[in-house]
Amino acid sequence: MVTKKSLFSWVLECCRGLQFALFIMVLFTVFFRVFPLEMQKRIVNVAIQSRNLNALFVYCGLYIGAVVMAGVLKYFINVLQGYIGQKILYQMRTRIYAHILSLPLAFFRRTPPGMVISSLTSELSGPGDFLGSALAVPVINLLTLITFAGYMVYLNPLLAFLSFAIYPAEILIIPVLQRRYNRLNQERINVTRSMSNAIGEAISGMHEIHGNAGYPIENKKLDTFGSMLFGLRHRMNKNKYLVKFINNFFQSLGPFILFLLGGYLTIKGRLDLGALVAFLSAYEKLYDPWKELMDYYQDLQDSRVRYHQVMSYFDQAPEFLLEPEEPREPYRLQGKIQVSGLDYIVDGDIHILDQISLGLEPGRQLAVVGFSGSGKSTLAMVIGQLYSYSRGHVLFDGMELKQLTKLDVSYNVGYVAQHPFIFDDSILENILYACKSLQLNELLKDEPLPDLARILQVVDEVGLTDDILRFGLNTMLDINRHAALADRLVGVREEFYRQWGSELAEQIEFFDAERLLRNTNMAENITFGYPNRKVWELEQLPANKAFRQFLEETQLTQDLLGLGLELAKQTVSLLEDLQDDQFFFEMSPIPRHEFDLYSALIERLKKAGHQHLPKKELEAVLKLALRFTPSIHKMATLSSSLEHKIIRARHKFYQQMSERDPHAFTFYQPNRYLFTHTIMENILFGHPKADHPRAMEQVQERVVQLLDEQNLLDKVMEAGLAFQVGSKGDRLSGGQKQKIALARLFLKRPRILILDEATASLDNRSQARVQELLKTTLKGRATLIAVVHRLELVRDYDQIVLMKAGKIVEAGQYEELLARKGLFYELAHGE
Amino acid sequence: MNSPTENNAPCVPSERAGQCELDANLDVLRKIPVFSGIPLQRLKLYAYLCKRACYRAGEFIFRQGDADDRGYILLSGSAQVVREYENHSVYLNELRAGEFFGGVALLSDIRRLFSVRATTDVECLTLDRESFRKLLVQFPEVGVKVLDMMIKRIVQMEEKLMQKHVHECVYG
Repeated sequence: MVTKKSLFSWVLECCRGLQFALFIMVLFTVFFRVFPLEMQKRIVNVAIQSRNLNALFVYCGLYIGAVVMAGVLKYFINVLQGYIGQKILYQMRTRIYAHILSLPLAFFRRTPPGMVISSLTSELSGPGDFLGSALAVPVINLLTLITFAGYMVYLNPLLAFLSFAIYPAEILIIPVLQRRYNRLNQERINVTRSMSNAIGEAISGMHEIHGNAGYPIENKKLDTFGSMLFGLRHRMNKNKYLVKFINNFFQSLGPFILFLLGGYLTIKGRLDLGALVAFLSAYEKLYDPWKELMDYYQDLQDSRVRYHQVMSYFDQAPEFLLEPEEPREPYRLQGKIQVSGLDYIVDGDIHILDQISLGLEPGRQLAVVGFSGSGKSTLAMVIGQLYSYSRGHVLFDGMELKQLTKLDVSYNVGYVAQHPFIFDDSILENILYACKSLQLNELLKDEPLPDLARILQVVDEVGLTDDILRFGLNTMLDINRHAALADRLVGVREEFYRQWGSELAEQIEFFDAERLLRNTNMAENITFGYPNRKVWELEQLPANKAFRQFLEETQLTQDLLGLGLELAKQTVSLLEDLQDDQFFFEMSPIPRHEFDLYSALIERLKKAGHQHLPKKELEAVLKLALRFTPSIHKMATLSSSLEHKIIRARHKFYQQMSERDPHAFTFYQPNRYLFTHTIMENILFGHPKADHPRAMEQVQERVVQLLDEQNLLDKVMEAGLAFQVGSKGDRLSGGQKQKIALARLFLKRPRILILDEATASLDNRSQARVQELLKTTLKGRATLIAVVHRLELVRDYDQIVLMKAGKIVEAGQYEELLARKGLFYELAHGE
Repeated sequence: MNSPTENNAPCVPSERAGQCELDANLDVLRKIPVFSGIPLQRLKLYAYLCKRACYRAGEFIFRQGDADDRGYILLSGSAQVVREYENHSVYLNELRAGEFFGGVALLSDIRRLFSVRATTDVECLTLDRESFRKLLVQFPEVGVKVLDMMIKRIVQMEEKLMQKHVHECVYG
């Protein structure tokens, strides 16, 4: 198992060829590091003393050559080390993550996500960096050290031994300090972890904190960890710098001895000057590899601590095999389920499931009902192989569930939880999740993914069609990818207008060049099109000279400034106290991040009139007016004279632009597709009016009918399937999430279905629809175990079990159970 | 492009000469007992978050069993409160301009106990639960007042119902 691996085993496994190359380079650098010393000696002794210029040039040339070579080699060594380190880190992360994913659910119940995240990101990166240099650094530095030492002995044995004498002292003292450092470091990791958990918890419970004004409590929690960290770090620093001090002290002892003794020997003529210079250089050079070795030692200790801390955290075996040990196709089950004497025990002696026994022939349907907390969900999860069980048996086609691999189970069993998880991706990807993950398996990679027709069929079965249609109709098409579709939609627009134009006129605000559009901002009301160049975008317009000139010509500047000021004044006074919640800014022309700017502007206006506003601020006011959309921004209104002015200006703008730069805008024209608008708005060639809720439904019905007649419905559905659901499916309702989870399940067509209140959030119609599907299409084709809360839904099941406190207390068919007048009867009538 | 119809349709948000929608909403809210106790500066925020909705004669504003999340004030026109049964429905009450109804949905996620159907073309001012709750959280001191009024209303309705029950028990 990956968590049992030792730190160095990663080094030995990874990039062996590269590591060998590294080793060779190291040997060469050592040579190039020592070689200049010998040159130094010869420059002094041979060249300078015998006044030989030629020799001076040769030795200096060799000297610089060696230094450059050493530098170049060092560069390559560093790059290689970095590469190897990152490669190891990459492998380490991937393998540990794969291991973490396979850990039992129980592990994640007690493990905060923050812990897993920090382990995999920051905690591991230290060891990763270290491992890259784990072999090269000690080798290179030890060799250098030995070579220098040897060279010094060769120059003068006595001096050499004296200057080495200080090292053993260091070797004795430093590990003691280091051990203390390690202990502190370990504590630091634990405290940091607890602190990130505390922060994580606070953030996920922010509404509770705000609701209860729990700021002091949370601050205090963090403060505890903060001050502990502060203390630990401080002690660690003291330790670290003490090591540094000792190191430096011993190092500076060296030259002291050298000058004293070396000077004495040279004066006495027992050592030549060249040798002394070389000796001093060598001693100085000795310091580098020594220091690097010391750093290496500290890194090693630090990485060990971090690595073991991470590994011990995840040192747990998965409950089930992911894949068969010997590759084989997954079993294809019939779907017979037998449960006997099943116990699920937690915390020593709490029986969540107590002696459960039941049997189900392939294709039969079982409903599990009971009080909340009776163990229904746990039973479903055990049968779905999400939990392992302590005692008893669960047999699928006579095979013990515990012994089946995850591959077998996921191939044959589909499980939907009450609150299914939706990934941050498109609806399509979410629906295909189960099929795609099976397909990633080597043996199943040839099974085709369901085609669009099949997907749409399942989408319809779970009652998701209307939702997806709505998403589809609200999609903006991409000009590069959907040009053909856009053309056809312009055709639909004409047809829609011909058939329904007059009937639905009051529910739609058409893009009518003679009217002010209440659902459109003032900028587009004036330009009556959308810009294709950046300088013509709304945010740029106030600074756009040509546009400002146009406003002057049409005498709109003053009116718009007046409107902008009114908007600023009203909005600032309205939202002054509400800046902490984005919600209140959804209908405001001032976005939250600009609030302070406008607030300051209003403050200044109170002192001076708006005639004296500087240019930047005038532009800001103008921008607000251009953003004004009458149907959204209720705090201001347009006078009818301004409306007329704007419409007159609109025509003039069209004329001017057609002459000066006809491609700068795509104007709202009945024969053009508008890529800045949704499909729906394009078909309507206008906005549905938001204040007619029923009418909007009607309009949509007509549009769908028309699209169907033109065979374009699938295209719109495709666009709808591409809808991005947001983080955790935030942009979906609870019912939509359940429908997606059900679609995910039905697409896989498993032999065994486990539904844990999987339709609880659905509206009545969709619930009935799914019920019907289970009753007819799936009956006999898949074995079904459904945990059901609403008893009126269990009438058609072949078998019903009623659970209480972990036991099955009643079992039978619906009528039978009612006739017994026991708990089931009570439950049915108590509702 | 030509407009398909030249004049205003029967149900269009009422024209407010020179007055912005927010101020118009504010005037309406001030006349509704549940909201009239709120200081003007705060009431403006309710007015800001309200939305207008139009229904044509015969359309349901909401239906029994719906999980609708809004409270309504009838601005113009009239509507009927109806309780629906499997084969028939019972007419309970007539709503007129200026009445506040469906407010319980602002307090909790409930299903509608009755339907409301427009008898003429109708314009409503509506407030949704999320907005209502956000304001409750932002200004608790105001929230308490509003809740108080809302609950008094509910108690009144219960009382009416109880009396009816007693009536039925004695004579029915």
